[in-house]
Amino acid sequence: MSRILLSRLIDLVVVLFGVSIIVFLMIRLIPGDAVAIMLGANTEITPERMAELNSRVGLDKPIVQQYLVWAGAALRGDFGTSLWTGRPVATEIITNLWPTLELTFLSLLIGAVLAVPVGCWMAQTRGSGMDVAMRIGAIAGLTIPSFWLGIVLILLFSAFVPGFSSLGYVPFSEDPFGNLQRMLLPSIALALPILANLSRLVRSAMLDALGQDYVRTARAKGLSERTVVYKHALRNALIPFLTSVGIMTGYLLGGAIVVEQVFAIPGLGRLILGAIAERNYPLIQATILVVTAGFVLVNFVVDFLYIVVDPRVRA
Amino acid sequence: MFRSVLRGAIGAGVMMAAMASASAQVLEIGLDNGPTGLDPHLITAFPSFMVVNGNIYEGLTAVDKDLKIIPGLAESWNVSTDGKTYTFKLRSGVKFHDGTDMTAEDVVSTIRRVQSKDIASPLASRLSAIDSAKAVDPQTVELTLKEPSAPLLSSLATIAIVPSEVETNKDILQKTPVGTGPFKFQEWQPNGFILLAKNDAYWQKGAPKLSGLKFNIVPESATRQVGLVNGQYALLPNIDAATALQLKGKPSVKLGETLDLAYMLIGMNVSKAPFDNPKVREAVNYAINRQEIVDAALFGAGVPGGPLSPALKSWALDVKEFPCYKPDPAKAQALLKEAGVAMPVTVTMNVLPRQDVKDIAQVVQEQLNKAGFKVELKNQEQGQFIQDWRNSNFDLFASINAGSPDPDEYFYRTFRTGGSTNVFKYSNPEIDQLLDKARTLSDQAARKTAYDQVQKTLACTGPVAHLTYGTLFSAMRDKLQGYDVMPNRSLSTLKNASY
Repeated sequence: MSRILLSRLIDLVVVLFGVSIIVFLMIRLIPGDAVAIMLGANTEITPERMAELNSRVGLDKPIVQQYLVWAGAALRGDFGTSLWTGRPVATEIITNLWPTLELTFLSLLIGAVLAVPVGCWMAQTRGSGMDVAMRIGAIAGLTIPSFWLGIVLILLFSAFVPGFSSLGYVPFSEDPFGNLQRMLLPSIALALPILANLSRLVRSAMLDALGQDYVRTARAKGLSERTVVYKHALRNALIPFLTSVGIMTGYLLGGAIVVEQVFAIPGLGRLILGAIAERNYPLIQATILVVTAGFVLVNFVVDFLYIVVDPRVRA
Repeated sequence: MFRSVLRGAIGAGVMMAAMASASAQVLEIGLDNGPTGLDPHLITAFPSFMVVNGNIYEGLTAVDKDLKIIPGLAESWNVSTDGKTYTFKLRSGVKFHDGTDMTAEDVVSTIRRVQSKDIASPLASRLSAIDSAKAVDPQTVELTLKEPSAPLLSSLATIAIVPSEVETNKDILQKTPVGTGPFKFQEWQPNGFILLAKNDAYWQKGAPKLSGLKFNIVPESATRQVGLVNGQYALLPNIDAATALQLKGKPSVKLGETLDLAYMLIGMNVSKAPFDNPKVREAVNYAINRQEIVDAALFGAGVPGGPLSPALKSWALDVKEFPCYKPDPAKAQALLKEAGVAMPVTVTMNVLPRQDVKDIAQVVQEQLNKAGFKVELKNQEQGQFIQDWRNSNFDLFASINAGSPDPDEYFYRTFRTGGSTNVFKYSNPEIDQLLDKARTLSDQAARKTAYDQVQKTLACTGPVAHLTYGTLFSAMRDKLQGYDVMPNRSLSTLKNASY
């Protein structure tokens, strides 16, 4: 167990180091540097002023030196300050992390929790008209883009539910009701593809499991169909389910960029997008590292859950 | 279960709406982009300008909705007869948001701050004529100029007066601005909103009427529109024609409009063939049908325009004065033949990534192709576009520029040989001489004569084909009263607005 933990930790360090270098270089390869973007195409600026602005934010130093200075500080837990506002990068990430965490949690809750009964039901009613209808529904859920669904939900609610505040974000601690109200639509928009994907997965894993000998044995000893499905077959069907949930969590933590854009939620996705658009180097580097670490950690947790769910992995 | 959640949410939504209207004093504004910072001497892009200009900060002078210069923090001023000494009498009883009095010392240190190399303000060139600033007494400031500068009063309207303590501080105003304006900074949630609260100690009696301004950062256009229609936002300032038309006639929504100071343009690189030849540039102007651009790309909401915005009524020449503004593809082809270039003239046009600019670029491409050109459009990422623009790495580009209330601000830096934004590498001794002379004249009529000549020359053979000036719209809830859309996109009239 501790060996697994250790190897995972080494993985994390290697991945973070690699990602930090790639991000550092890539963002500087994109044409247009931070100063040029900040100034825009329409200012009365001289080359001397540009040089002064560059030195103001430390972009006049050689790139290797810039990386070493940044990495050294980051190792000590100091991610620096946002390029123009001077706000600590760590603070910006934490403020933007909460909405994303909440959105991830809620959409997974809706999607994953519903996927299990829906998937089981689809497996049980295999071949019936209901199964076909639900499979078509699942494909629709997979193919409808979240941003489109988001806009349609906003339009529908504004037309039929006047006074429903669906835009922006208020922290749960300030106004729990307003918070949930604003989170409802984006969570649904994100949950639908998750539900579609996972229920199909549960369905096929469940069909697999239902064909196994031990299921026949369970039926033969007179257990109710419900117990057979949920107690015996489901547990085996959960492994691919967990893997998928893990990967989805990773993506959601990276910020559901488009949905955050549509619903004007100040989450990690918009933080990264905005930072890239303005070439806010310290902010981009730190945010992507945090997201990467989140991805790796979630996968680690999923590996750990395999052991809990499936005793065979423990050996 | 879902249905009951929905029903609960609906009920709560109605309740919340009722609560919100009881305290609807903070004006909810929907902006597409958040500012990069709030230091008025450093960040000059529109999102930042709309938040700070006239709301948090004020200048010595100000402009009204017709862009006429009016008193700001200075209640009056005198100009010496040689035009080199300006004496400003400051308004009394003006306080900064931190409670200290605004005095002549603050004005002097503000000017030093903008000119300082450490602060590296992009606005420095607007004050380049100022040699020194002196506080004569706490209410009087004297500016000494190197040479007379007619655009100075207009420029000063854009220079925010800040407390003297921050003169050498680079960072503090970016996060926590302190000004004299009708609203003071309260909270900034990055990517979320910027909240300004009423300044109770504001010098103008009875203003502001609103108890605050909340700038919500909402990147998605459809979301902003729905937010306005359902009442979550009360104002969408400075929107384009396409959005405005979609909102027109929606219940409880009204539109305000003005002629934009900003303009669409095609830039031509005169440092290399084929646009080094004035005949080719003239051919471009003849090939372009500006009314067609207004109709096709701006949905009719705009006017064809020359080098100066028709909004600048006291300066701009009527486009009828420019012969090349009468579309004539045959004449364009004849000019290309005279120029001796091989037809079709194959060129690339870099396009700024904005929907209205992209639309216009396509119309212009079509028009030029009919008149002997072969234009390839290059849709670029913003950073790439700016880099190519700055390095003069283009044949043609299509873009939008913010205009200036005074002709000198735009002309001098753009068309003077060696001007700071003369990326076209344009050099014309006649224009140089006119521009040098005009900025030293204080007589309005004499200045106008000089700028008339400049406009005529630039219109047909200059490095920029000025296309159109759009109608600038703001969409707002019916209840919002007293807010005027301004051609320079400032939201400074919000101090007299009520909701």
